[in-house]
Parts: sequence; C-alpha cells; structure tokens
Amino acid sequence: MTATLVAEDLRRAYGETVALDGVSLSVDEGEVFALVGPNGAGKTTLVRALTGTTDAEGSVTLFGNSPRDVDPERVGLLPQDFDPPERLTARELLAYYGGLYDDARNVERVLDDVGLREAAATWYENLSGGQRRRVCVGTALVNDPDLLFLDEPTTGIDPAGRRALWRLVEDLAAGGTTVLLTTHYMEEAHRLGDRVGLLADGRLVAVDDPDALVAEYGGDPRLVVETGADPAGLDLPSNVDARRVEGGEGNLTVRGIDPDDIGGVVDALDRAGATYESLTWTQPDLEDAYLELTSAGEGPAPTAGLGEESLTETVRGGDA
Amino acid sequence: MTRTRRVAAAFRADWHSFLRRRTAVFFTFFFPLIIVVIFGALVRTEPTGGLFAEDPAYYVPGYLAVVVLFTPLSRVGSEVARHRDGNRFEKLATTPLSRAEWLLAQTLVNVVVIGLAALLLLALVVALTGAALALSALGVGALVVAVVAGVALFCGMGALIGSFASSQDGVIAASNGIALPLLFLSDTFVPPSMLPGWFRPAVWLSPLTYFARGVRAGTGQPVPAMASVDPRLGYLLVLLALTAVFVALGALALPRTD
Repeated sequence: MTATLVAEDLRRAYGETVALDGVSLSVDEGEVFALVGPNGAGKTTLVRALTGTTDAEGSVTLFGNSPRDVDPERVGLLPQDFDPPERLTARELLAYYGGLYDDARNVERVLDDVGLREAAATWYENLSGGQRRRVCVGTALVNDPDLLFLDEPTTGIDPAGRRALWRLVEDLAAGGTTVLLTTHYMEEAHRLGDRVGLLADGRLVAVDDPDALVAEYGGDPRLVVETGADPAGLDLPSNVDARRVEGGEGNLTVRGIDPDDIGGVVDALDRAGATYESLTWTQPDLEDAYLELTSAGEGPAPTAGLGEESLTETVRGGDA
Repeated sequence: MTRTRRVAAAFRADWHSFLRRRTAVFFTFFFPLIIVVIFGALVRTEPTGGLFAEDPAYYVPGYLAVVVLFTPLSRVGSEVARHRDGNRFEKLATTPLSRAEWLLAQTLVNVVVIGLAALLLLALVVALTGAALALSALGVGALVVAVVAGVALFCGMGALIGSFASSQDGVIAASNGIALPLLFLSDTFVPPSMLPGWFRPAVWLSPLTYFARGVRAGTGQPVPAMASVDPRLGYLLVLLALTAVFVALGALALPRTD
C-alpha cells in the first residue's frame, strides 16, 4: 500500500493550550481513517494541520508533497462549521466551488450523491440543518478528490441522511479515494473506518482496526437487570463469576457474562423471589473503548442503546 | 484560461450574493443619493463663502468618493469577516483559487456595482448642482480609470481591515473610522486652503486625494501642479501605483490559516 498522507510529530499550541502534542499518523491509499475524540481533543486542529490551514510544527506530506504544494485538484475538504454564502442555491454553491477546479464533476451528479436534487434551487439559508450539511459535503466532492478530509460530515444530519452519506463514503473508498474523517458518532467511526484513531488531549492514544480497539479496550459484555434484588441473596449458577456481580441504584450488573448464561441469572432471580423490570445484555462497542481510553467511563451504569453497533437485547417485564 | 474560469466562478457567486441582499443593494445606491441631495440641493453652494463656496464642479470627486470609498471598504471588509467566521477561507485555501484571485473577483463585482452607482450619482450631481464638467473622450477615460482604480484601491484597503479586525462589527467601525476623515481631508469637499497650514501636507498622504485630483484634472478643473509631470496624468499614475500596493497588501493579508 502507498501512504497517501504521512504526518510526523505534529505540534500546535494556542497560547497555553496544547492542541496537538506530537501526533504522527499515516493513511494509505483508499483507506478510510476515522478520527474520534472528546470535544477539544484536537481533531479539527489536526485536520487543519494536515490540510495546511494552520501552522503546526512537524511535517505533513500529501502524495509526497507539503499540503501547500500539493495539487489542490486532488484534495477535497469539508471544514468543521463551514458556512458558505447563504444566498446561493444548493446548485449555485456546487457550481461555484466546482468552477474553481479544472476538472470538476457534473453538478447534478453531485446533487444526486448528496440527495439534494429536490432542494437544488433553494437558497442555502432556507435549507434545513441536515440539508445544509449535505451541501457542504457536496462542495468537498465537486472535484472528485483522491484525498478527502471530512470534519464531522454528518453532524446535524438525520439518521437516514447519515446512512446515505455513509454509503457515499464507502463508495468513494471502494473507488480508491482516501478519506480522513472526524466524528463524534462511534457507530459512524466503526462502520466507515478501516482504522480508527482516538485523539485525547492532543495525542493519538490509540490507532487500530475498530474491532481490535473494542477487543482490547472495550471491556466485557454485561447484563444489567433493573431490579432491587440484593446480589448477596442470589444463588447464581457456577459459570457466573459472583465477584463480577454488582448491585445498587435499582440495577444489578453482571460483567463478563455470555448470552447463554442469562437464563441462569433469571432462574436465580426467580428462586430468590425477586421482581425485575428489564434485562439488558450489552456487548462492548467502540464507545466503551473510547470511554476507557479517554478515562471517562461511566462505571457500572447501563449503557444499552448508546452504540447502535453493539449487540443489545432487552427483555421487558418479568415477575418471579 | 483556468484562472479566468476561477475568477468568473467567484465573481458569479459574489454577484448573486450581493444582488440578493436587497438592503445592501438599496443603500449602496441610496446612501450617495442622500449625500447629493443634502449637500447639493439642500445646503447648496454659497458663492459668498462658507463650507460650500467652491464651484459646483469642484465637489464632483467628493460625491463620487462617497461610493468609491465607503462601499468597497465596508463590503470587502465585511465579506472577509464573513468568510473568516464561516471557515470559507479554510475551504478556499485547499482549492486552486488564490487569495489574489478571490480579491480580484470581489473587486470586479465592486467595480460593476460602484460603476453603476457612480453613473447615477454623476447624472444627479450635474442635474441638481449644475456642475459643469468638460467631458472629452480623454476626460471620460480619466474618470473611468480613476473610478476603477479607486474602487480597487479601497477593496484592497477593505481586505486589510477585514483581515485585521476581529469581527464584522469591528470591520464596520474601522471602515467608518478610516473613511470619514479621508472623505473630508482629501481635497474633496474641503479645499486644503480651509485647513490649518500645518495640516495641509497631510492631504498628500491620503490616497483619496489622488483620486479626487485625478478626476478633477481629467474633467478640466484646476489642480495643484506636480513636479515634472503633467497633473492630468500624474495624479492618476500615483493613484494606480497606490492601487497596486493596496491590492497586493490586501491579498497578502487575507487569512489562509486559522
């Protein structure tokens, strides 16, 4: 694989605030690299350093050139909080940005790609938040770039629009486009990223295949039972490690439990005459790995539904 | 050819954006009309002395300066601030459009808009004040060169203001703070003879002085002599040189990074 993007020891500070603290990374041709991290972790500064729109120490090469010397026809950028001229229509905006390139894509095709054919004649200021973001994504695609930077591309887009955009990014990557995107959606990072980088306090604390990150940092599967039962009073099956059962605040949490062993826990509740409102089994996901790596874990509280990629099963009701 | 294509794309975008801001369009044309009506028709020239004691033709460059100076300063300054606030320069920095090309497109839009406003203004000044202008072909040429160069110069200055002011409000305040003294201290509405002797050399430091005198010289009115250069050409040449400097500085000052 050829590295399309190589960054070494990037550092950037704004006064006393360190935004980037020695970030190095390499992204291969056709790879989708998803960058996640808390607010203020340095994601946008990193995108700016990579695109040459901020002055950072260290070195960056795109296709072997510095960002300011690279052929701009090969690069597409969606900046964070991008707000293009508001009294141009979606079609006019794409035509404007397309007009800046020698070999731009057909505007109608781009409108189709971002699902805005119906709203093409609407002024940007009159579009919904999601439609606006899609126009902005379109402006990054008009030159059919080989390297695409998307800084929070799906923020404000509804779930259907988000999925459509994911398919678009997947198609681009399948066609050989290298993509570096930042996101707050773990589901998005997991689905799109060939690799996921986790940025915290200006440092890249983990980079790997998303499944590998989950396996290494996501922790164990857990069962959360909404019940007031005291774990000490339960006769749990032998294959459930009683040391990993916690109670309190109306929940009973069993860590490291396989789905096959849930029935044993239910039987134990029945035998103890305990009532329960629900049972939720959660497989660790990228969000768990993220929380672990950013030291922002929530402890034993239920996490069902936080990450849509996790295998979560909830059983409602249940009386002994 | 590709540069032409890029500038044309930026011109079209800015042109549509401007025309669709109806309040901005209205006041771009209405503001100078108010000035002409107030000073030209209500205050009027008083041959017996006072503020407006000169021949009506003397004030023509001043009326033109109202649009040539104020509109580009505030428009380009605000546009730079809007671009910065909306991360548009960050986006443009990764496209083939250079900062000079962006400023050129902005300047061309201003030249068209202010050219139209200047024509309207000129007609109104002549109709309301009876200003007699010797508009030969050369005079018209000088007038066109002065207006185009003046607009470009103040677009460059607007880009400088927009680049260094931290907000749109700051741009407006700075534009007014710079434009108002220039308007009255550049041999436009107030002859240097009315200013204190110690201040008169400062009139030569104002770029607007060269615009005013270039227009005056081109339209057959008396202007102060220039050393070894025909003033009909000299003032315009200085104006063009200053234009080149301010446009270059304005383009260089435009934000490329955060």
